[in-house]
Amino acid sequence: MSHVRSFGTCIPAHHAVSRRGFLSEGAVRAAGAVTVAGCFASDMGQIHALRSEEVASELRNQDKRVILLWLAGGASQFETWDPKPGAKTGGPFRAIQTNATGVHISELLPELSQRMHHTAIIRSLNTKIADHGGGADLVETGRLKDPGILYPDLGAVVARELGRLESKVPDYVSLYTSTEGRRKGTSGFLGARYAPMFLSESMIPLNIARLDAVAEIDHHARAGLREALGRRFAASRRSQTVDSQNSAYQRVQGLMASAELFDITQEPAEVQARYGPTQFGHQCLIARRLIEAGVPFVKVARAWWDSHGQNFETHQELCADLDHSMSVLLDDLEQRGLLKNTLVITLGEFGRTPQINSSLGRDHFASAWSCSLSGLGIRGGVAYGKTDPEGHTVVEGEASAADLFATILAALGIDHKHEYTVGARPVPLADFGSKPILDVLT
Amino acid sequence: MDENNTPGSTEPPSAALIAVTLPNKVTVLKTFPLPGIGFCLATASDKSLIYTGLSDFSILRANLSAEKIEPAAVGVNGHTSYVMGLVRCGETLVSGGYDCSLIWWNAESGEIIRRSSDAHARWIRMLAVSPDQTRIASVADDMQTKLWDAVTGACLATWGDYEAQTPQGFPSMLYAVAYSVDGKWLATGDRTGRVLVRDASNGQVAATIQTPVMYTWDPTARRHSIGGIRSLAFSNDSSQLAVGGMGKVGNIDHLEGASRIEVFDWQTGTRRLEIEDSKHKGLVESLQFGPQDAYLVAAGGDNGGFVSVWNMADGKLLTQDVAPMHVHDFELSLDGRYLIAVGHQQGAVINLFSVSG
Repeated sequence: MSHVRSFGTCIPAHHAVSRRGFLSEGAVRAAGAVTVAGCFASDMGQIHALRSEEVASELRNQDKRVILLWLAGGASQFETWDPKPGAKTGGPFRAIQTNATGVHISELLPELSQRMHHTAIIRSLNTKIADHGGGADLVETGRLKDPGILYPDLGAVVARELGRLESKVPDYVSLYTSTEGRRKGTSGFLGARYAPMFLSESMIPLNIARLDAVAEIDHHARAGLREALGRRFAASRRSQTVDSQNSAYQRVQGLMASAELFDITQEPAEVQARYGPTQFGHQCLIARRLIEAGVPFVKVARAWWDSHGQNFETHQELCADLDHSMSVLLDDLEQRGLLKNTLVITLGEFGRTPQINSSLGRDHFASAWSCSLSGLGIRGGVAYGKTDPEGHTVVEGEASAADLFATILAALGIDHKHEYTVGARPVPLADFGSKPILDVLT
Repeated sequence: MDENNTPGSTEPPSAALIAVTLPNKVTVLKTFPLPGIGFCLATASDKSLIYTGLSDFSILRANLSAEKIEPAAVGVNGHTSYVMGLVRCGETLVSGGYDCSLIWWNAESGEIIRRSSDAHARWIRMLAVSPDQTRIASVADDMQTKLWDAVTGACLATWGDYEAQTPQGFPSMLYAVAYSVDGKWLATGDRTGRVLVRDASNGQVAATIQTPVMYTWDPTARRHSIGGIRSLAFSNDSSQLAVGGMGKVGNIDHLEGASRIEVFDWQTGTRRLEIEDSKHKGLVESLQFGPQDAYLVAAGGDNGGFVSVWNMADGKLLTQDVAPMHVHDFELSLDGRYLIAVGHQQGAVINLFSVSG
């Protein structure tokens, strides 16, 4: 039987917190309200009430993590995971043999070619929507937009499923520092508790530092006083909502203390050097630091791959960045024993056309494109699915955005059929009818 | 159509005529389809026979004097990627491409005479042949310039002096190479807008010219770059060097920058002319001075193509029009009255003078 998780005011009785009771207990509204159709989780107390022990499983104890390398703008499958050398549509670059027998990728990814034992490629995505906004909405949430409901994106779902209540670090961190195509990410009906800590202007979170006007000693003294009062209050009025208030404060303190996780200068110089000079490299290092500290989901957006002109030069630059940064990241995770618990995904909103236009560019294309999955739960060295010789269509193993979503959840050990209930509406974690791609899973 | 404007017309016009007559109208005389993107062009001495290297890895030959131009393959088993550079040395063609190889061909029979499979460590971008046809220069994304014996294929010299990475830490590219008309100098240009002029006999750098506007790095929106020097041409007296590319670009997803040319008295480093054309945007892919350096012909494009002719006395536009395709390479006729161009999916013969001109 699938677990059912409810959100909004229409939740099952055994999980319900009455509005009057909730308000009287003065729950902390930790991160603002989300109200869509009047039926979504709106506060920390309510969310906590919904996180029953029956579903707060040992899954969370397994310290599973996800790093999503979001190739914003849409990387070309021809110049990355599905090369077609010699085809009219293939472009100028060769395919190179990887360390997985029979699997070839573009010569623009030489370092990753030697780490293919960690990686499964899916070459048969057909997501149909080839505009940036619509494509990203679909791929990020694994389903089409619905005017009646705001779906959470992958990061929010993973944060919800893998995040720990007692965690002092964020559950979902999203770095998107380029301005083009910038998307914050959405927790949808899961509520603001699972919204990303979003870094766009700086690689170190803004506005979480202690105010200069509050001395360090005062800061700690205030926290101690609040904790003491909270303990006394809770002793006679034990409830999930009160617990929620206490944990919200702990969480805020944790977030304030987490600033140093974003500071890569705390890493040895040799480690910093390995990740290289680019911002994407730096952000991959931040991702590793966050993962290591227990953040379940980190998204690093590398914009902007939208190569309508000069596709090959654009990919020479961006693939070099991806190839090196991701390779170092995989190595680093492996050396620290983290890769077995961490899923690393490369994905964008779509791929690029087989046709090469007059500007030597490739345009938007969602009918036959690729992504990669590495690490946790993934059968490495696999190239799943097949496109035709010129890359116009999927001819084998067609996969939708929902199938990919289900596959990612399955790699994490999460049942994609589990349902949230939003109002009276059952919402499975991955869309109805989706199927995990078993061939890429261990 | 003026018979004197057609390919195959070998009689050079008089110097007096060139001195007073400047191009005044760009007119497409004929086009011919190509089975791919024509990146490079070489011609027989009378310009009637042309060769082009393509994106389908082939080299095609076409007779422009024929009533119907029907390009045919030169040889088989040549390159295994895009053919980006092509020169003719007597009866020999030499080609280079993204497969890092140089191939010597018998231009007539298509037989491969010699192949240097690892001529460069990375993608070859362009070739140039010395005026006496004894030397061939190649440039590639290994950021090296190599000098080859045109007959024996021996590598005579390898010159570096370019950074492997852009200032932002991304791979750089070495796009363009050109010999001076007197054969003494060799100019090269990279992605970041850096031109080196070398003594062709020993590789000594005689001048360094910076054209930073040709390179657009977007540090905030898209975080990569576009542009670079795509064409170089010495004047007929070898004193001036024209550099072609694209001006600063707002949205680097597209070739939407103004086409851009800078002309230098390269030995003094003085920039004589700075030409930006927003009417016809995109990359200036090929440049050539007209007779007596009276004018400069530029061609290139974005999603479309253009041919523009600039007066070298004052940098003003003489004439321009759209080309039938994004032009990747062209050659002027000996009299400077028409050009032969290859580019996206087709080639063209384009007149530069109205009948009255």
